[in-house]
Amino acid sequence: MPGSPLVSRRLWISALIVPPLAFVALFVVYPIISAFAYAFFHWNGLARGEFVGFANFYKVLFTQPYADWTVNAFLHNVWVFFALMVLQNGLGFLLAYCLWRELPGAAFHRISVFLPVVLSTIIVGFLWKLFLHPLFGVVNISFRGLGLGGLAQPWLGQDSTALWSLIIANAWHMVGFPTLVFLAGMQRIPGEILDAVRMETESEWTKITKIVWPLVAPSATVVFTLLFVGSFNWFEIPYVMVGLEGSPHGATDVLGLYFYRTAFGNMSGSGQDFGAGSALAVLIFVFIALVAGIITFKLRAREIQI
Amino acid sequence: MNVASQSYYDRRGILAALGKDGLIQLILILNTAVMLAPILIMLFAAFKTNAQIFQSPFGIPDFSNVANITKIWNETNFLRYLMNSVIVTGSSIVVILTLGTMAAYAVARYKFWGASFVLMFFLAGLTLPLKLAIIPLFILMRDLGILNTQLSLIVIYVAMGLPTTVFIMTGFIRTLPNELEDAARMDGASEPRIMWSIMLPLVRPAMVIAGIQNVVPIWNDFFFPLIFIQKDKLKTLPQGLTTFMGEYTTDWGVLFAGLLLSSAPVIIVYIILSRQFINGMTAGAVK
Amino acid sequence: MKKLVCSTIVALGALATALPAMAQELTFWSWRQEDKAQYEKFIDVFEAKNPGITVKFETFEATNYNTILSTALAGGSGPDLMFTRTYGGMETVASGGYLLALDKTNVPALSTFTAPALASETMRSNKTTYAVPFASQTMLVIYNKDIFDKNGLSEPQSWDDFIKASEKLKAAGVMPFANGTATAWQNEVVVGGLVSSIMGRSFYDDLMAGKADFTDKRYVGALTKLKEITKYFPDGFIGLDYASAQQLFSSGMAGMFVGGSYELANFKKQNPNMKMGIFAAPGLKAEDEKLVALYFDGGYAANAKTKNKEAAVKFLNFLASQEFGQMFANDLNNISAVPGVTFKEPLLGEVADLNKHSIPYLMLVHFRYGEPSGSVLLQSEIQKLLGGKATPEEVGKNLTTGLAAWYAPFKK
Repeated sequence: MPGSPLVSRRLWISALIVPPLAFVALFVVYPIISAFAYAFFHWNGLARGEFVGFANFYKVLFTQPYADWTVNAFLHNVWVFFALMVLQNGLGFLLAYCLWRELPGAAFHRISVFLPVVLSTIIVGFLWKLFLHPLFGVVNISFRGLGLGGLAQPWLGQDSTALWSLIIANAWHMVGFPTLVFLAGMQRIPGEILDAVRMETESEWTKITKIVWPLVAPSATVVFTLLFVGSFNWFEIPYVMVGLEGSPHGATDVLGLYFYRTAFGNMSGSGQDFGAGSALAVLIFVFIALVAGIITFKLRAREIQI
Repeated sequence: MNVASQSYYDRRGILAALGKDGLIQLILILNTAVMLAPILIMLFAAFKTNAQIFQSPFGIPDFSNVANITKIWNETNFLRYLMNSVIVTGSSIVVILTLGTMAAYAVARYKFWGASFVLMFFLAGLTLPLKLAIIPLFILMRDLGILNTQLSLIVIYVAMGLPTTVFIMTGFIRTLPNELEDAARMDGASEPRIMWSIMLPLVRPAMVIAGIQNVVPIWNDFFFPLIFIQKDKLKTLPQGLTTFMGEYTTDWGVLFAGLLLSSAPVIIVYIILSRQFINGMTAGAVK
Repeated sequence: MKKLVCSTIVALGALATALPAMAQELTFWSWRQEDKAQYEKFIDVFEAKNPGITVKFETFEATNYNTILSTALAGGSGPDLMFTRTYGGMETVASGGYLLALDKTNVPALSTFTAPALASETMRSNKTTYAVPFASQTMLVIYNKDIFDKNGLSEPQSWDDFIKASEKLKAAGVMPFANGTATAWQNEVVVGGLVSSIMGRSFYDDLMAGKADFTDKRYVGALTKLKEITKYFPDGFIGLDYASAQQLFSSGMAGMFVGGSYELANFKKQNPNMKMGIFAAPGLKAEDEKLVALYFDGGYAANAKTKNKEAAVKFLNFLASQEFGQMFANDLNNISAVPGVTFKEPLLGEVADLNKHSIPYLMLVHFRYGEPSGSVLLQSEIQKLLGGKATPEEVGKNLTTGLAAWYAPFKK
């Protein structure tokens, strides 16, 4: 090998780390920094115009109709997060606890609960859209068949049920993920600890609150953070099931749809606005980073206490 | 505590009747039914006519009636979309594993100035939602002249996949013993030689995990093709699916057949490799 | 190994990239994938007459067409010739200065086009026309002739007739209307197709003159009637998407479909045996003028920076000619914007006749120049109205205050 061993070792390490670093720098770091910069400019279509300071932020936060749209979409994201926290993570914990008993058939149940997770969100969205069709969907057909025609609803068309329909489709799709993460956490709890607890108490509840929950808490931190990030990035399910406009009348509008419409326009709007779109992206981004940071920090602190 | 045990005893009634395990089994069976029913309805409907779907959505069809399937197969670009997905996903995974292993190997096996910074740099990308940087990415792809090409997708997927891959691989490579490596070094083997012939064969299990962790989200991604790819002949499966779902709206059997065919590859591979899939996809979240 | 992988990927990428167009030919971009064969035929006619010029027709997805086009034009890789949207959609592209200005000197035939047609491709700020309009679309009521005949119905002359006909179909177990409003833009369609006659020409004139806004009782009254007639829409129509609604009509399950003239070709393709008729939804009284809502939906423009300007202008003149207009109407079954075209297909002829009594399709034509666009507001407000979340008065008020954000006459 030519050159001194030290130089060639350095060259070798550089050869290993420079290509991946360059890649992440160009396609992750640079775009994210640019996203921040773009929000401070006026945009003519795809051409960057003059520097406008915080004008785009002011526009999406304080001028009408943007302000109302922003708040409306944001509140829906908050709602989605809490609903999925119960329906997806809560149910996931319960299912994990049930699977942990290793009763006969547990392997089969484990495979089936995770099956929807591997499907594309697009497939899940279309599937549920067909199921919830007001006239021909299997949900309404079943209600009518059972003589419960009164329960048949235009699920995706009325504001009282539309967002819930999307949430349930999402929960069906993803519940297997927290289930198996929690299950893996439970399976790592040492047998001696469990035996010791069994000697002391009969109560399942005590066992869960005192032992199981604290010991799977590290997994919970990750699952909660991922759900949070996912809830505020939510796009595909609403896009497929209710369209870019968040029908009906914005009752299912979320930040993802709103950001897309603002940046890229839709058929009925007046066009694309990269400035306002970038401002929205930055706001969502900062919000996600802040809250995800706090969740991780708080939950980590609690893990250590326990 | 009192309240808690109270609520526990309230449930005595069901527990007494079924036994604790009975209740658990019941929950699991109900849940499995809910998980599988939509997939079975889709499977059945793919072999039915409109009338059969609307009248008996749960009925078991005549599986020899493959008219809907052949329609998707022959009249849409399904095969083309499938090929595109294979090309994009396959290329992305190869690049992710190559670059990811390189970075992880350097960080895990060598002490050098800035190693922890390099690791932090990758980890920072772990939870960043790259979707939100779509506007600059769109402009970047345009400036690079790769908008509307499969390269734009591969590039973005590699960028998305690298952080978790480096994370998983670094953790694994650190656990490998030093003895083999030291022995080879004594024999005068070069560093690239040590990596290629001695260490890499040991890293394969972690590569499988990292590969699976990436393959599912890339295969299923819809957002980036939606923005980067406009030409029909370059569309990936999820994006192509929206195209032919738009064309066959009047024929529900064909719609379900389209959904079935699009999901079949993943479902089949998952059933065969369920353990690897579950380990791979939850890797990173399991602590 | 790594090198090999990398170069393979680059090669794959290169293969996937379309080959750049050759310099001596004109590229022509479009969002009409489904019309490719017909356009290639039109181009053959042009090329036969103009040896030395070749035109290459390329299509892109309709929903993102404007984004793709703006991107390409801004990046200097745009086509020589292109389809453009109309009204606000045209302005977003034209305002970048990318389009060649057209007038009597370079495209003489433009002076024969109707004023509303030219207005659709004219930028409001500098009064410059940038494209040759190609087609108009009409919002009207399409009906299934067999179902109407079987139930002894004829085209309604008054609103009462309309309700009675719907009632009769419902009693006979047929869905009167196939429409659903879960897909946002369909809400705008039902307003244009059902109640243009009720709001009336005088309301439109006053609105344009700045003498009326959407709280006007003619407009609110129209919305009240709209809400009333949706009683005859399918069960759960607020959750029924556009595609399903089309399906209900084309499969013969419903008597009427409120929609654009573009649906005719669609339905014909889905169900070639169905006999269809069309009418303008009536006003309140039989003697009220029956109006359809009309708009232009696209045009042909040239790139201001094209290297082959002479050839491009030659092609635009061809697209503005009577000869082309006639081929367009015959082969694409659309109402060509070229004056004096005749229609082989009787239904198209009827559409052209209905167009003689029309008002513009309001929100699309006049209120898509700012944010929030009138279309976005109307779609969402109508969903509220039909979902029982707003009264017609509230809709009128919300439209007016919403548009006041950018529409000067509504600013108080």
